[in-house]
Amino acid sequence: MPSWQAVLRGLTYEGIPLWRHTRIIQWVLQVVSGILVVVLVVWFFANISGAIQDRDIPHGFGFLSREYQTSIGQHFLPYESTDSFLYAFVVATTNTIIVSILGVILATALGIFIGVSRMSGNWLVSKAALVYIEFFRNVPLLVQLFFWFYIVLALPTIQEEYVIADMLHINNRGVSMPWPDPVSAGAAWMFPVVLVVAAFAGVAVHRAMQRRETLTGAASYPMVLGVGASILIVAIGWVALSIAFDGAPFTISVPEARETQGGSHLHLGGFTASAGLMALLVGLVMYTSSFIAEIVRAGIQSVGRGQREAARSLGLPYLKALRHVTFPQSLRVIVPPMISQYLNLTKNSSLAGAIGFSDLTNVAKTMTQTAPAVSIFLLIMLAYLAMSLTYSLIGNLYNRHIRFS
Amino acid sequence: MKRYSVLLIVMAMTLSLLVLAACESEEETVASRLDTVQERGNVICASRNDVPGYGSLDAAGNNVGFDIDLCRALAAAVLGDPNAIEIRLITAAERGPTVQSGEVDMLVRTVTWTTSRDAQWGNYAQTMFFDGQGFMVRKSLGVSSALELKEATVCVTQGTTTELNLEDFSRQNNLDIEPLTFEDTDAVVAAYESGQCDAFTNDNSQLAALGTALQNRDDHVILPETISEEPLGPVVPHGDDQWFDIVKTVMGILIYAEAYGVTSADVPSAATGDTKVDRLFGLEGSFGQETLGISNTAAQNVIRSVGNYGEIYARNLGPNGINLPREGGRNALWSDAPCTDCPKGGQIYAAPLR
Repeated sequence: MPSWQAVLRGLTYEGIPLWRHTRIIQWVLQVVSGILVVVLVVWFFANISGAIQDRDIPHGFGFLSREYQTSIGQHFLPYESTDSFLYAFVVATTNTIIVSILGVILATALGIFIGVSRMSGNWLVSKAALVYIEFFRNVPLLVQLFFWFYIVLALPTIQEEYVIADMLHINNRGVSMPWPDPVSAGAAWMFPVVLVVAAFAGVAVHRAMQRRETLTGAASYPMVLGVGASILIVAIGWVALSIAFDGAPFTISVPEARETQGGSHLHLGGFTASAGLMALLVGLVMYTSSFIAEIVRAGIQSVGRGQREAARSLGLPYLKALRHVTFPQSLRVIVPPMISQYLNLTKNSSLAGAIGFSDLTNVAKTMTQTAPAVSIFLLIMLAYLAMSLTYSLIGNLYNRHIRFS
Repeated sequence: MKRYSVLLIVMAMTLSLLVLAACESEEETVASRLDTVQERGNVICASRNDVPGYGSLDAAGNNVGFDIDLCRALAAAVLGDPNAIEIRLITAAERGPTVQSGEVDMLVRTVTWTTSRDAQWGNYAQTMFFDGQGFMVRKSLGVSSALELKEATVCVTQGTTTELNLEDFSRQNNLDIEPLTFEDTDAVVAAYESGQCDAFTNDNSQLAALGTALQNRDDHVILPETISEEPLGPVVPHGDDQWFDIVKTVMGILIYAEAYGVTSADVPSAATGDTKVDRLFGLEGSFGQETLGISNTAAQNVIRSVGNYGEIYARNLGPNGINLPREGGRNALWSDAPCTDCPKGGQIYAAPLR
């Protein structure tokens, strides 16, 4: 029998004792932390499922195929209260997705505008942007949402609404506006394809012309020609579809007010953006754009002063220098925090219930009346997670694209 | 050396976690809720503070209302102190999860008794108020019946049976009512008052209560139709029958004290000779106090501190509150004192205390 000291001395790898070998130590650390994570996760879920069983809290997903039997306020997909829980959930998720996409686009545009204004040499413009940023950034979003909601409430009632040019109806239930109305299903489905083709063609022409301008120095009007090409393709597509499907793909439907039997009013045709939707969008856009403005400012300031001075000394006017020299270089600083802001906007839209817009959270919370709350909240979390991860993925792909180009 | 210390910390964390998990699993015996409450020294009730009469704040910032008084009565019965309560303010949609999880001892927040809630949420102890859903509209709309609300926009609070009843009513009568759902009742009233919706729907009693906050109450009218049954009462978490029985008994004490004509001002502390009254107040015999685990004279504490059912009603919902009529309605007692079968026409009734 060798003594235990001898056994210990024998435990070596590459001639080094195990407990002093860096690679072994790293391995042990990895394994231990791995076990720790697994134990934590298992313990967490065992705790939840144990508690659910102990307290007889209803769970499961059988309800998803049942009829929901409750209506949903504003919805962008067609919906009847006889539809299933699952479909109602999809309808509500679509509401949230549409709000977040609209919000992201508007907040980005407004945020860049405010951020650039903040850096303007004009004292008044710069200070106005500063006030905007500090106000909207520092007041809680829920308070802002209520503020916009009460502003919308102060609009005239539907009986005494403002009508602009017989087209736009503005009242405290929402804004009704003219909207394209598909005539035949085939043409309506084909038209988006035409739009995508036109967009790609426009970008391609823009790039080609820009390259020509860079290489030859001859004025090639990339913007004008690119947009022109897109418009041309859309026009040709429209005419082609009209001939192929015997009629234009869309007509414009104009909203019309009608009195209901109940003595109230109603709008037929067009599209009505509900008051809740408008207050939510305005609130989210104002709030998020104040953060985006600061991100844009930080990004532009991160580009060396010499770059801008060099651009100006080459004779580029201020805005051109910003667009072609400073801004592209600042993107690598701007994009990562911008993605976080987009995710925030999406998640913040869950406050919609306070002001009466039927977003995912609002509808799903109503569902807990007749379906197990645990399952519903699990679904809500999964839906937001899926949305956020998709946005992150797109954002990160774009980020990689600008880093390597 | 640094690397070793990291390793040690990680191992220590794993060990302590395992020990923690082991300890957790050994604690299998659950204390009864009565013991927990008495040890904690207060009763936790989930309620509200946004509807006058049921649960609101008085000028001094105290929680007051019909629901709050039921909570105070329970605290007086099990702890001897009506003020030993903690009110958790929750939204309508939070009611189910709150009582399911057992984090509160009682849920009293204008909760309608339905079969699926009884199965999923907790046990309904006793109907303390009979309500029904109605509609409030502007007089200028020219509507005299809820059946005329064709294609109307109706404001409704989220997560309530109200929302479900509205949909049923709309479908049954082909009304195509468009609901506008808000999380908070305050937002519902604001939206209705500004004309964003044509009508707003809630339990009739709450329409009356919220109506007191409207600027021109006379411009609005509650439509005659009641479209639902809404029996309201306290709910206790599932799984503790003793606690469930205690809450039922306390509600019974409030009701029978009124039936026997005993108010907070004249609670007897010595035998009166009236067997029923003496039994109620623990001066003679018993109605099961020791089995329930409450003191023999619990009823004395309850009635002395919060009054009988009639006093609670008058203080919060009646002439001193939001002025809902009681006499001749469903919320009157079933019988007229002193005889127990002289009909009074009401439906407020509880299991006899004996």
